[in-house]
Amino acid sequence: MPDADVLDVRDLCAWYGDSQSLHGASFNVRQGEVVTLLGRNGAGKTTTLRAIMGIVERRSGSVCYDGRECIALSSDRIARAGIAYCPEERGIYASLDVEENLLLPPVVAPGGMTISEIYELFPNLQERRRSQGSKLSGGEQQMLAIARILRTGAKLLLLDEPTEGLAPIIVELIGRVIQNLKARGLTILLVEQNARFAATVADRHYIIENGRVADMIAAQEFDERSEKLSAYLGV
Amino acid sequence: MSAILDLLPPLPALFGQILIGLINGSFYAMLSLGLAVIFGLLNIVNFAHGAQYMLGGLCAYILLKYFGVGYWPALLIAPVVVGAFGVLLERLFLRPLYRLDHLYGMLLTFGVALVMEGLVRNQYGSTGNPYPEPPSLAGAWNLGFMYLPVYRAWVIIASLGVCLATWYVIERTRLGAYLRAATENPKLTRAFGINVPRMVMLTYGGGVALAALAGVMAAPIYQVTAQMGSEIIIVVFAVVVIGGMGSIIGAIVSGFVLGLVEGLTKVFYPEASTTVVFIIMAIVLLVRPAGLFGAATRTTAAGESHATAASGLRLSPPTVRNVTIALIATGVLAPWVVYPVFLMKVLCFALFACAFNLLLGYVGLLSFGHAAFYGGASYITAHAVKMWGFDPLLGILAGVLAAGILGLVFGWLAIRRQGIYFAMITLALAQMVYFSAVQAEFTHNDEGIQAVPRGHLLGLVDLGNALNMYYFVFAVFLLGFWLIHRIIDSPFGGVLKAVRENEPRAISLGYDTDHYKLVAFVLSALLSGMAGALDALVFQLASLTNVHWTMSGHAILMTILGGVGTLAGPIVGALIVAGMENYLATLGAWVTVIDGAIFIVCVMMFRRGIVGEAAVLLRKVRLKRKTEPVLAPSTKGATS
Repeated sequence: MPDADVLDVRDLCAWYGDSQSLHGASFNVRQGEVVTLLGRNGAGKTTTLRAIMGIVERRSGSVCYDGRECIALSSDRIARAGIAYCPEERGIYASLDVEENLLLPPVVAPGGMTISEIYELFPNLQERRRSQGSKLSGGEQQMLAIARILRTGAKLLLLDEPTEGLAPIIVELIGRVIQNLKARGLTILLVEQNARFAATVADRHYIIENGRVADMIAAQEFDERSEKLSAYLGV
Repeated sequence: MSAILDLLPPLPALFGQILIGLINGSFYAMLSLGLAVIFGLLNIVNFAHGAQYMLGGLCAYILLKYFGVGYWPALLIAPVVVGAFGVLLERLFLRPLYRLDHLYGMLLTFGVALVMEGLVRNQYGSTGNPYPEPPSLAGAWNLGFMYLPVYRAWVIIASLGVCLATWYVIERTRLGAYLRAATENPKLTRAFGINVPRMVMLTYGGGVALAALAGVMAAPIYQVTAQMGSEIIIVVFAVVVIGGMGSIIGAIVSGFVLGLVEGLTKVFYPEASTTVVFIIMAIVLLVRPAGLFGAATRTTAAGESHATAASGLRLSPPTVRNVTIALIATGVLAPWVVYPVFLMKVLCFALFACAFNLLLGYVGLLSFGHAAFYGGASYITAHAVKMWGFDPLLGILAGVLAAGILGLVFGWLAIRRQGIYFAMITLALAQMVYFSAVQAEFTHNDEGIQAVPRGHLLGLVDLGNALNMYYFVFAVFLLGFWLIHRIIDSPFGGVLKAVRENEPRAISLGYDTDHYKLVAFVLSALLSGMAGALDALVFQLASLTNVHWTMSGHAILMTILGGVGTLAGPIVGALIVAGMENYLATLGAWVTVIDGAIFIVCVMMFRRGIVGEAAVLLRKVRLKRKTEPVLAPSTKGATS
């Protein structure tokens, strides 16, 4: 079923303490798609990923992964169901070396990449495999953060701003990696600030505004609706 | 011991003490290792660690006495049993506390330690229960320069092995990587599919099992007693502060080294052997506040930012005037109804608790060392009045001043660290004062300073008369209470509350918060000293009880039970605690058990304390009465 929904999110709400930051976001991601969430700072993109992953304080609504309701599951169970998360702050463990970081997430399903395949994709990481996580450059950290979740066999990857603060050449590399992952049949939900980068990799774009989905733009309409888009994203 | 007269002690004595030092060091290392691992992942200081060490020894003792099970099986069974108990403790009691301030975890485990120690003392008494060395390790090797008992050699080697194995598991294995990852970023680690809560539970169980293992190994050397845990745990806290909590290898190395240093001190300067670790701790705090191995940023980040004990506990007290009037009326009339000596005890405790509350409730600093001020002042006052013939007022002044000086030193050292470190440091420093009191001449050790004359106030009023004494104590109490109230209400008090709520913000507003914390600490010490000085006159006695760490525990208990950060709370708490001590004294060790149980109940269910809960209840009732849906009257309006 190439067009089946891998992820179906309905009326997703999330709270940090008393303040609600998601107000009923609804969207879906189909098998093998790369979908981005675009929006201004504070619109709720990162929170959407965190809410899917179950690492917000409180959430409600529905998150269906592979036909299975996940809203009541704890984040470790969600991960084991087959969703992998690469956080915005990258979350490289300073007390672990590169290889330990790489081997940390447990394998949750067959079909993940092997360590040597990962090193082929990111040769830099192999060179630095014994370095402490704290000693890596920003680009290396980002590569490691993505590489880390490729081993697990998860079929849906949630990537939070993988290009943030990186040199253009690294951004290009990340773009190639995402294409590569897509070619392998992985499904990717991507949070981006960089709309131009998003346009190069994604099939569809959701615009997030005030904790809700404001609009959806397919890749083919991206250029014709770019004015609308800058209205959404402009300050 | 006459060897000290020569500069060089005879070799056998030297090696003997080195051996004892290494043995002690083995236990310090094993215990501080467990503490460090638990602290890393759970972010709590496991105060029950000593009690769990004791349970390990006790378990071995029971296995041998009642089941005929010997040392070697006990080495396995005791850690499993006590570890399982730890798992249960984590699951039922600690887990609900994680979302709260870390100090609650410390208070809870303190309560658990009291309950366990009390229960064991009740059952087995406080004298030692001997445990034989395993026959296979009996005897000694003649090394030529000394005899090395086989069992002691085994303890050193085995504990070194256990420590290194633990280090290996944590630093070099997959499981250890999970542990380090969960220590550093539990949320993300969980989002990778690792069951972090289960790991936390098992880690706590593992750390506890390590303590129990040390307990079994200690049984043939030290005998099994109820208080063997509380005796060692405070030294271990100091070891941990010296080593720095973040480092596994640091815990091991500083454990062994400090044991050795302690042993050597026994040879060269035995008077200091009980305090040397605390002195080293003070020096390390001056030179490297993060500890010798404490470079790890993760622990400083995790442990240091949680200093606000009372935030969220703050409540608007009923109007100050009502409380004051009720207080004065009750105080004036009470001695006609209740035995005055008991009332005086309540007042001493109440002043002590109010002084403590000034620090915990209004600055958010949890001191575990206030016994030093209370007991220290009572010694100085007793000595000044009895030996130097001071007038009672002058005597009290001397005591208060002494407490203030101690407070200045303690505060100066302790405010370099925050949160649980602050608690451990004050505890260790107070223990140093305790050991000094044990050794000093003028304190007369176990007997204390007895038959302290109450004297004549200003040469006029005979304080030997119970009622006169009572009204004098009452007047001093009111003075102290009024002072505390003035401090809290002053602009200075406003800054203190700001420090409690958000220290970084207070700093960014330009306040030198360390300075404010130090002044508050000294004020609290002075007022605690005032209470202790009165105590010495009331009971005409200054004894070790007043400087013992249990007295610091009392201050915390009274404050928490009554209500942290409330004006009347500490008084209510003092009434209950003094009442329990007085009327339940016949129950012996059960009082400790009850104290501990109150800690547990308060931390788990009544974090606002009696007065705090009552105030909330009152507000709810008032709110219900009002028909129109008005929002809760703002706390701000009620406090000011």
